[in-house]
Amino acid sequence: MTYKVEVINNISIVHLNGEIDMDVADKARQTILPLIENGKSVQINLSKVDYMDSSGISVLIEGKQLAEKKSTKFELVEVSKPVEKVLSMARKFL
Amino acid sequence: MSEIAHQDHTEKKAFLVNTSSLKEVRIFCREVFEKLHIQEDLKDELVLAIAEAAQNIVKHAFKNSASPTELMVVQISCENNKLQIAFYDRGTPVDPKKVKHREIDNIKPGGLGTFFIQEIMDAVEFKDGKKPWINHLVLTKQL
Repeated sequence: MTYKVEVINNISIVHLNGEIDMDVADKARQTILPLIENGKSVQINLSKVDYMDSSGISVLIEGKQLAEKKSTKFELVEVSKPVEKVLSMARKFL
Repeated sequence: MSEIAHQDHTEKKAFLVNTSSLKEVRIFCREVFEKLHIQEDLKDELVLAIAEAAQNIVKHAFKNSASPTELMVVQISCENNKLQIAFYDRGTPVDPKKVKHREIDNIKPGGLGTFFIQEIMDAVEFKDGKKPWINHLVLTKQL
């Protein structure tokens, strides 16, 4: 997994790229959560994520929950088809 | 259920028990499912279920601390259009009663992997592992 963070109009956009599994979930977590912790509005761009498992979904849930706690915005944008499929399965669970 | 008759086929492969192997597990599965001509959408789901089960071995059976040479084996078999995926490991014995996903109203990260496996597969069964194995998990799906 690789990532790029850019700031546009005061929103931190995290572009994730590649496969997000247990092996790299911590890297994603350490990239995303500190931004929210610092009160930033965060968008996660998932257009280039071609695989995500429960570890990746967990990071997104943690981000959403932390954003609610910090009263900041947390959004998923340009969700790729493979991620959308896993998210739709997870929604039944959530 | 698929209308395609899938050829009978069995393949197995051993992987080191660590998080870096999860990608290799997925590659192995995709290669086998290509040979079995499994439809793309189903293939993605099956790869996810298998990767989640392998992840559970790393995370729970070995609690992320397997020795560097410890192995787990994944075996994929297709017979009479029934797919069977077997996992063998020598980690802490699994108590099937404790393997469950979180309650639906308990929104916390974790437990999703088991939920995915149960959603995707027809059956999840823990069998007694014959020596040298301790755990033997079998996932099945009618194609």
